[in-house]
Amino acid sequence: MREYFYEAPESLDELLGLLQGLNDEEVKLLAGGTDFVPKLSKELDEIPKEQKPPLHIIYMGNTGNNEIKEDSDNVYIGALVTLTEIEESNLIKQHLPVLIQAMEETAGHTVRNVATIGGNIMNASPAADSITPLLVLDAQFVLAGIDGSRTIAAKDFFTGPGSTVIDDKEVLTTIIIKKGKGKAAFKKLGRRKAETLSVVNAAAYIEMDNGICKAARLALGAVAPTAVRCYQTESKLVGKPVKPELIKEICSGVVEEINPIDDIRATAWYRKQVAPVMLERAINQACSEE
Amino acid sequence: MSKVLKFVLNGMPVKVVAEPQETLLQVLREKLSLTSPKCGCNHGDCGSCTVILNGKAVKSCMIIALTVEGKSVVTVDGLGTDGKLHPVQQAFHEYGAPQCGYCTPGMVMAATAFLNENPNPSYDEVKDALAGNLCRCGGYQKYVDAVMAVAKGEFGPIPKGSDVDV
Repeated sequence: MREYFYEAPESLDELLGLLQGLNDEEVKLLAGGTDFVPKLSKELDEIPKEQKPPLHIIYMGNTGNNEIKEDSDNVYIGALVTLTEIEESNLIKQHLPVLIQAMEETAGHTVRNVATIGGNIMNASPAADSITPLLVLDAQFVLAGIDGSRTIAAKDFFTGPGSTVIDDKEVLTTIIIKKGKGKAAFKKLGRRKAETLSVVNAAAYIEMDNGICKAARLALGAVAPTAVRCYQTESKLVGKPVKPELIKEICSGVVEEINPIDDIRATAWYRKQVAPVMLERAINQACSEE
Repeated sequence: MSKVLKFVLNGMPVKVVAEPQETLLQVLREKLSLTSPKCGCNHGDCGSCTVILNGKAVKSCMIIALTVEGKSVVTVDGLGTDGKLHPVQQAFHEYGAPQCGYCTPGMVMAATAFLNENPNPSYDEVKDALAGNLCRCGGYQKYVDAVMAVAKGEFGPIPKGSDVDV
């Protein structure tokens, strides 16, 4: 059987130090574990075809970064904040209600009680329900390393299913979101109402001025190897009067910006049919709240 | 590489040797012989392994046992007081909610954690709270009705600290 090791560092510095010492080893940073543990159990159920190298499980739960804070310009969400904590936060309710909308549709209570926002980001699933809202909120991710930290925009962070630009000696610590003037909305299509993964999810952030769209950021999930910002569709929307027929027409063009696949949840064909609809609904909601 | 794990189980401090890859469910069932949390799917889908961890309902098959170090875990075994059933247990019993009974311990824990935080829920909120617990007998209606009855006080007040000093 594969050998497993477990560490629970008490601070971020200790965690970063530990990572420095693990050079050729396989490491899994553990937060809530709601994605990793079922995968681990599956691995343990199977008779391995090949001998796997030892795995170091490093629990991040005691390293801080578990608070939601604000200053005059930004909201700061610690990577280890659970999805339930986001859902129940007054600060998030006041400034970023779209995140609550997304969290309420993510998995179920018993998963959200332990799953973390940082974990959902670092899994980098193309279908993750937190990523599309973070894309349209233009979130920034703070990555801490042994020599200090760097900040990278959500739109530049994801490179493929499960992969990001993070270095294996770095740790995601904080999500920074600017308090915007506009409104955002999230729409999810799953196979059921509860405890389900997205067939397609959509998020929209719209700034309006006298019925004219001043700024727009749009994103779709589960329709490409990563969640995607729909830049072309955004540019078609900016400067236009926001009318339902026009939004519908503009959204139909979004199929040019996505590249879905057939999987257990839906076919590529179906995703191309519903992606424009979900985006349209997200935009309509983001506008109607003005 | 095994480690010593210390946590509070149903109000009692426990000490147990656990492996890094072991889940809380495995430690409870196989090392502490507490078989009330059931291993249905072992992948976080069915909810029959639900326990209360630091006051919140969680699926114990999705939690690495060593991460509960110093925390408090409550299973159905920790709910009743003085030989009396907890109101949620009493309600499930009297409403005939359990059929085969396999999902029941998980349902009890999910419902109890929920009622501790939301003593006056709506019908839809109860449905939402139990959405992560599958009942393959299809007994959902009676579970939800029973939880609503507890919320209305039909089975007496929910004991304070019914999640045992969490």
